[in-house]
Amino acid sequence: MIASIRDSDELQLNAYCDGELDPVSATEFERRLANDERLKARHDRLMSLRQAVRSLPQPEMPARLEGLIRKKLDAELPSNVTILRRRNWSFQSLAAAALFGAIISSSAMMMIAQYGQRENVASEVVSGHIRGLLAPQPFDIASSDRHTVKPWFTARLPESPQVPDLAAQGFALLGGRVDVIGHDPVATILYKHAAHTVSLTTLRPGQSVPEQTIAGYNVRSWSDKNFTYVAVSDLPSADLASFERAFAAAAPAPEIR
Amino acid sequence: MSVPIVQNEDDRAAFDEVFLPHLHEAYRLAQWLAGSPSDAEDIVQESALRAFRGIKTFGAVNARAWSLAIVRNTAFSWLAKNKPKTLVSMNDLSPAEQRDLEREGPRGERVETPEETALLKANAEEVHKALAQLPAQFREVIVLREINQMNYRDIAEITNVPIGTVMSRLSRGRQLLMAHLGDRR
Repeated sequence: MIASIRDSDELQLNAYCDGELDPVSATEFERRLANDERLKARHDRLMSLRQAVRSLPQPEMPARLEGLIRKKLDAELPSNVTILRRRNWSFQSLAAAALFGAIISSSAMMMIAQYGQRENVASEVVSGHIRGLLAPQPFDIASSDRHTVKPWFTARLPESPQVPDLAAQGFALLGGRVDVIGHDPVATILYKHAAHTVSLTTLRPGQSVPEQTIAGYNVRSWSDKNFTYVAVSDLPSADLASFERAFAAAAPAPEIR
Repeated sequence: MSVPIVQNEDDRAAFDEVFLPHLHEAYRLAQWLAGSPSDAEDIVQESALRAFRGIKTFGAVNARAWSLAIVRNTAFSWLAKNKPKTLVSMNDLSPAEQRDLEREGPRGERVETPEETALLKANAEEVHKALAQLPAQFREVIVLREINQMNYRDIAEITNVPIGTVMSRLSRGRQLLMAHLGDRR
């Protein structure tokens, strides 16, 4: 039995097995799989190959390698100079430093505690973003129409943000989802910039979340009198800054809730 | 002549945050690309040094892809220098062979044999051998996809080719693997 399978089918089959088809194409492809025995056989075979490769025993890195690398890099640092200089510190200045340290430590502890909280908020927002990217689609409601997304939020949350479409500025509205930060459900608006997704989570106003990178994602935050906004994306921070400008310019007026 | 010291403690901290978490993955990738544990160690050490010296070029986008791209590039330059015979690069093939490897054929159709649709029954050793013998440009995309579990976009970034090329190399590489494993029976 000889049959021919088109090249594009082969690519699509691979993309489907790798989970790289968009939801619509994936559903279409599944329909074809159900009706095409030969395609189904190729699919099963491809999956068995993938399984075989994935379950290969993997080489483990020798534990000493990390130590070796650290040592090598230490040699690149001008650390010897620093150590000599440190020895020259007098006991007097050390004592003064200790006293000063004791005075500031209580306020420092408070700052650290606060910082920890803000870190938490940021990392929860990033977790929401990552979960969104892993899901078949990053949103609960898909719409590029702000008049659809905004009411969807209004129906679910006590406070709902403005949902401007920033397509003209390069950030097309994708949709929205509800994230849970702390124990509060909050609105997250999704935008697309080229191949990148931006999650914009809206928190109670008056929180400050420092600009940072978590798990490779850039976090940028700003506030107006209604919300504190936290934007997360794998975009470079300069692009996130222009996103902030576009959003702030498009959503200035508070809406009557 | 002395080399000016450009790295400082901040660079070291950045390196620890960006590159070090991916060390185990780096080692796996290096071993699959180089084929031997001792070569993989050398490659990972050199990659770490390169990453450290170039840490300022990290664009704060995707630390994992950035790190593995350095490992991948270091592996190929290391192999070219130290084990030139083991490295079958794309450029060593004739234009016709290249076309053959990259695409199915001029009509975009292929003939399927009954063996190709039978379920794969190969043991780990055979699969390991078949993957190790695959030409480098197919092996690297399959290893990045299945072992490092990167998505198409990251694989394209790491191997520095368009996503379309990643797709066709993955597809073709898997077919070569299947044919290889089929022949063995």
